[in-house]
Amino acid sequence: MCAWSAKSRKEEPEQIRKTHRERQDMDIQSVRNIGISAHIDSGKTTLTERILFYTQKIHAIHDVRGKDGVGATMDHMELERERGITITSASTYVEWKGHHVNIIDTPGHVDFTIEVERALRVLDGAVLVLCAVAGVQSQSITVDRQMKRYKVPRIAFVNKCDRSGANPARVSQSLRDKLGLNSVLLQLPIGLEADFEGVIDLIRMKAVYFRGDAGEEIVYEEIPAEMLGEAEAARAEMIDTVSLFSDELLEAALEDRATPELINDAVRRGVLSLELTPVLIGSAYKNKGVQPLMDAVNEFLPCPTDVPIEAVDLDNENAPITLESDPEKQTVAYVFKLDEGRYGQLTFLRVYQGTLSKGDNMIQTRTGKKIKIGRLVRIHADKMEDIVNAEAGDIVGLFGIDCHTGDTFVSPGPRLAMTSMYVPEPVISLSVNPVDSKAQANMGKALNRFTKEDPTFRVAQDPESGETIISGMGELHLDVYVERMKREYNAEVETGAPQVAYREAISQRADFDYIHKKQTGGSGQYAKVVGYVEPLDEGEYEFVNNIHGGSIPTDFIPACDKGFRSTMAKGGLIGFPVVGIRVVLEDGNSHAVDSSDMAFQIASRAALKSVYQKARPRILEPIMKVSVEGPGEFQGVIYKSLMQRRGMIAGSTEDAGFTRVDAEVPLAEMFGYSTDLRSATQGKAEFTMEFSRYAPVPREVSEELMKKYSDRKKGEN
Amino acid sequence: MTDLMIQLRRSPRTLLERDGHPGPGAGRLALVMGRAGIGKTAFIVGIGIDALLSGQKILHVSLERSVDKIRTWYDDLLMELLRREKKLEHWAAIQLEIERNRHIQTYLGGTFSIDRLKTGLKLMRDYMEFVPQVLILDRLEFEKLSLEDLEKLKAIGAEIGAEIWMSCRTHRDAPQPEAGHLPQPANRVEKGIDLAFDLVPQDGKVRLHVLKDDQKWVNEELNILLNPKTLLLRTGVKR
Repeated sequence: MCAWSAKSRKEEPEQIRKTHRERQDMDIQSVRNIGISAHIDSGKTTLTERILFYTQKIHAIHDVRGKDGVGATMDHMELERERGITITSASTYVEWKGHHVNIIDTPGHVDFTIEVERALRVLDGAVLVLCAVAGVQSQSITVDRQMKRYKVPRIAFVNKCDRSGANPARVSQSLRDKLGLNSVLLQLPIGLEADFEGVIDLIRMKAVYFRGDAGEEIVYEEIPAEMLGEAEAARAEMIDTVSLFSDELLEAALEDRATPELINDAVRRGVLSLELTPVLIGSAYKNKGVQPLMDAVNEFLPCPTDVPIEAVDLDNENAPITLESDPEKQTVAYVFKLDEGRYGQLTFLRVYQGTLSKGDNMIQTRTGKKIKIGRLVRIHADKMEDIVNAEAGDIVGLFGIDCHTGDTFVSPGPRLAMTSMYVPEPVISLSVNPVDSKAQANMGKALNRFTKEDPTFRVAQDPESGETIISGMGELHLDVYVERMKREYNAEVETGAPQVAYREAISQRADFDYIHKKQTGGSGQYAKVVGYVEPLDEGEYEFVNNIHGGSIPTDFIPACDKGFRSTMAKGGLIGFPVVGIRVVLEDGNSHAVDSSDMAFQIASRAALKSVYQKARPRILEPIMKVSVEGPGEFQGVIYKSLMQRRGMIAGSTEDAGFTRVDAEVPLAEMFGYSTDLRSATQGKAEFTMEFSRYAPVPREVSEELMKKYSDRKKGEN
Repeated sequence: MTDLMIQLRRSPRTLLERDGHPGPGAGRLALVMGRAGIGKTAFIVGIGIDALLSGQKILHVSLERSVDKIRTWYDDLLMELLRREKKLEHWAAIQLEIERNRHIQTYLGGTFSIDRLKTGLKLMRDYMEFVPQVLILDRLEFEKLSLEDLEKLKAIGAEIGAEIWMSCRTHRDAPQPEAGHLPQPANRVEKGIDLAFDLVPQDGKVRLHVLKDDQKWVNEELNILLNPKTLLLRTGVKR
C-alpha cells in the first residue's frame, strides 16, 4: 500500500526556518489550490499522471489500469487500482513555471459525493475534464452543480481528442447548452482522432506541437496555412466573448491590437467572476495539450487571496469573520481529509490564515483540546516530504493528531471554525457480521476509522439483533467500505441484503389522554399526560410544553420529553424512525408520593404509542434523482426501465444521437438497476443517482412493508 | 388539494376565458409573440401551469434550455401563485402533482424536427402511457418553420387531442406589419395560426393584445397585464 517515506527527517537540521514558499522565493500570488473533477473514464487520472510527469514529480508514466502493474500515481489505494476508479481525494503538489500548485484529485463516482464536496471546500479553482467523444455526461452535470454551490471558478479541458468521434467544438457547445456555462475555446485542434497532432493557441496565434518520447518538448510553429482562416475566425469569436470582461481589450480589439496579455487578463477576470469558462483541448494519453493546460491554471485560476474565505467565531454567536491569507495573523487550518498510513493517521489540512509550524500548540475548536504540531509534511500521491511550516493557502499533511474531517485548528486566540459542509443523511444500510473474533476486533478498528473519514458513513447497532449496521449514500459506497475492511484491516465480514432507510411520519393531529397507574402496594407509580401530536413540516421532533398551573410539576417535564422522544427511534408501522412530529403537552396530573421521572417517562411513551395510529402514520421512502444517458435509439427502453421501477420521469434531452432521461425513482427500486440497464442497452447506457427527498410510499407498497414487518416479528417471537 | 388548485387557476387561462379568448382548442395552434426578454416564456409557462392545475397533461418542448432550467420556471411561477394566496405550505403536494403530469423534452444542438417530436410522443405513449393534452413549444426557431410544418404539428395535435401553444420572437427593427396581418416572422405562416397574442411594453408593464382568434383578425387590447417582476398576469385597465 502507501509507502510513506520518512526520507527527509535527517535533513531537518539543515533546513533554515523558512516556509517552503519562502525557500522557493514564491509569494501567495503564485499558489494555486486546484481540483481535477470529471466523469469517470474521462481520463482525469491519466491527466494528473501526465501533470506529475511534466512537473518532474514522477519519472515514468503509468496508465490507470497499468500493464506494468504499477498504476497511476494518484490512484494510491489498491482497490482503486483494481476497479480503475479514484475513490479518495489524494492530494499532491507540483511546481510549474514559478507557481506552486496543490492538486486534489477528486473521485468521479456520485456515490462518493462527500469526497468531491470536501475537496471543493478547500479548492480555489478547478479543472473540469471532459471526454471529447462523450462530452458533458451525467456525472459532469452533478460535479458542475457542486462547483456552482461552492462558487469554484473553473476551466475546462476536453481530453481524448485522439479518440474516434472526438469533437471538441461540440463539447464546448454542450457546456453552454447543458451546464449553462459561458464557454469559450482558447484552442483549436490540429487534426482530430488518429490524426490529432497538436493545438492552435488562439491567444498567441501559434501552432503548438508536443514532441519527444513523452511530449515533453513543446514546439511553437506558424499556423498551417490551410487552417489560418478558421483560426482567425475562432480568435475573433473568442475575443468577442472575453472582451466583455475588459474594456481595455474591447478598445484594443476594435483597433485590431489585442495582445496576449490583454486577452489573458480578460479571461482571468471572467473566470474569477465565475462568468466565463475557457476551454482547452488535448489528449493526456497521447501526451498532447497538458503543458498549455498547466499554463492556463497559472494564468486564469485564482490564488488564495483572490477568493474571500469566511470563518465563524464560536465565542461570538457564530459571527462571520473574513480570514486573510496573512502569515502573521492567528493561524486557522481546516481538516478536509483523513487517511490511514503506515505511520498512523495522516490528516490533510488547508491553512487559511497565519502560519502552521512544527512544535506549535494549536486548539481543536470542536473539542477545545490542545494539540502540539508534530510531523508536518507536504504530500505527493504516495510519497511525502517533511517541512517545518506551512503558510496561509497551503495544503499539507499532519501526523499524530486525533481528529475528524471538518475540524478546525486555531492558534491561541478567538475560537474560530470554518463553516461546516453540507452533509446528506444516509439512505441505505447493510448489516455486517464478522466471521470470527479476529475479524470482529479488526472490524471495530476499521469502522472507527471510516466514520472519522467520511461523515456520510454511519455505524449503529441493531438493538434487537445486536448486528452492526452500516449506512451510507448508495450500494457502491457501502461495497467499497466492505472491501476496504477486508483488504486494509483483514476483517472478513458477511453482509446482509441492503436495506432502504425508511422513515415514518404522522399525517394528522391526534389527541392523547393517558394515565399510567400501578398502585398495588409498596411504592407505586402514577403519571397522567394530556396533549396532542401533529405533523411538523421541518425538523424531526419538537416538544412543546403548554402546561400552565403546574398540573405536572416542572421537575417531571424533562422526563415527559424524554419519554416522547424515546418512541421516535422506532415507529409503529415498520419499526423505522419517526420524523416530522410535534408533541404538545397541555395538561396532566401527578401524585405526591407515587409520581416519579420513570412514571412520567412510561406514561409519555405509552401515550404516544396509543395515539400513533389515530395520527394516520405513513411510511416515507428515499427518492433518488436519477439521470440515465445512452444512445438515442434506447430512449424507449430507458423510459420503460424507469417506469417499471415506479419512476417519475421529469424530462428528456436529445443531443447528437444521445439522449438523457431525468427521473425521480424510489431507492428501493434501484437495486440491481445497473445490471438491468446494461443488459437492456447492450451496455451502452449509464446512469447516476443522488438523494433527492423523502416521500410517502404508495399504499400497496406500504401494505407489503407492514406485512413483512409483522411476519418478521412473528418469526422472532 | 383540488379546490386549491382550482383557486390558483387565475393565470392566465381564466383571464383569457373571461375576455373571450379561451384558447385554440385541440388540433389548433396559438402563438405568443413579443420582443426578446418581454416574458413570452413566462406567459407560455403560465399556460402550462394552468393546464396542470386543471389536471391536464402537458409536454413542454424547448430547444435551448436544460430540463432543470425549465422545471425551475414552473417551480418559480407556482411558488409565486401560492405566495399570493398565502398557501405556501401546499407547495410540495402540488408540485408533485404537477411533476406527474408534465414532461419536458429538450432538443440540443439543432436536433429538433417535427418527425422527431412525433417519434418522441409515440415513445411517451407506448412506454410511459403519457399522452399530453397541451403541447408547449417554446423558443423554437420560428423563422425556419414552414406553413406545412405548422399543419403537420396541428395534425399531430388533432391525432392525440392536444392544443398547441408556441412562442415567437419579434424584432424591434422589423417593419410595421400590414393592417390585418401578423408581424414578422409570423406573417409568412399566419394561415396556420388559429390564435395569436402580442406582448406589448406599456409604461414599464407588459400588456396583452389579441391579434387573431379563430382565424379572424381581432387586434384588440386586453385588460390583462404581465407583471415583469412576478411574471404573473393580472387584470389591468385599458388606457
